[in-house]
Amino acid sequence: MSKHVTDWLNAYLDGELHGSQLHHAEAHLAECQVCEAELRSLERLSSLLHEISAPEFTSPERFAAQVNLRLPRQQTAISGKKILEIGWWMVPVGLLGVWIFIGTAFVLSDILSAANNFGLLSGISNWLSFGSSNGIYLSSTLGQAGLLSGNSLNWAEATETFTRMSLPQISLQISIALLYLSWIAIWWARHTRHQRQQHGQLLEG
Amino acid sequence: MVMILAVINETELVTRAQNGERSAFSELVCIHVQGVRNVIYRMCGDVQIAEDAAQETFIQAWMHLSSYRPQTSLCSWLYRIAVNAATDILRKEKRILPNALEDLQLKDPQPGPEAILSQAERTSLLQKAVLSLPDASRAVLVLREYEEMSYQEIADALDIPVGTVMSRLNYARKLLKDKLKQKLFLQMEAEHV
Repeated sequence: MSKHVTDWLNAYLDGELHGSQLHHAEAHLAECQVCEAELRSLERLSSLLHEISAPEFTSPERFAAQVNLRLPRQQTAISGKKILEIGWWMVPVGLLGVWIFIGTAFVLSDILSAANNFGLLSGISNWLSFGSSNGIYLSSTLGQAGLLSGNSLNWAEATETFTRMSLPQISLQISIALLYLSWIAIWWARHTRHQRQQHGQLLEG
Repeated sequence: MVMILAVINETELVTRAQNGERSAFSELVCIHVQGVRNVIYRMCGDVQIAEDAAQETFIQAWMHLSSYRPQTSLCSWLYRIAVNAATDILRKEKRILPNALEDLQLKDPQPGPEAILSQAERTSLLQKAVLSLPDASRAVLVLREYEEMSYQEIADALDIPVGTVMSRLNYARKLLKDKLKQKLFLQMEAEHV
């Protein structure tokens, strides 16, 4: 005869044994009177416990009304969650706003720069259009020092102009696009997880 | 199908209640009040205490509803609060009831088939035996025997490992069998002869 299954009898009684453990317990119980008697006593105990009936309580509706009277007016904990939720949905709106603002600022800057080049803003261009009025620092310094001249000086000036004028704009727009894509990825992950949870609950139900 | 609709309805009620809608919370109270009161009653053995502790349970649930996560069952979450409420109340009430078990046993020192207990006495003895169990073991026993929860559900409700559920349940049943052996087990055997 195999070893007693006393430790498993509670789980067996409660239907919590599965697979090989269940087969082993059943096989052992079929041939062991000691474990069989122990199982019967556990069953008797369970049937005894069910002799304690539930008492009469007030009706659920009346109870709910009594609870309702005692509920605090505000759920302070909820407000924090709500703020977080609103903040989460404001992220793409904020990113869009920043993108529009930066785009507008750069377009305005370009217009002012162009106007300045045509001499239309001679008096106020110095403080209105950043960057363009300050000239080209490094390349012109190198040109003055005689280290650059001719085509190489022109290339250096063009590269420096691009780096100072267009690169920040492109970098900012790429950063905003990446943040927006990250938000979409997180939203998608949350959405998928939520759907999976709902599906799981339905299956459990 | 009815069960699926009930789950969807409950999820919707929880969402509305989390948004502060009292009527939705009242509906949830109506759905779960019976189970919550039963658990507390089995834990403390007094109807009035069970009513008060159940009210406290739902007030706590309302106040902390934002921390409830839909991936766990609402029922298990409420039972956890209920068990804690019952334990707190018993601590405050200085647990008077359990000692009465010894009193009842002493009235009849020689149990046997001739000493058949009345149904009321039998129920009272059983209840006192349950109440004399340690709180942790009693909670597991109540959720298993009366609410018919699985070991995993009990583990989720009480936030303990499944192995602990099994050991506490084994311990509770062993203690109960020892306490009731002289009285009720012999009587049941006599009734079956």
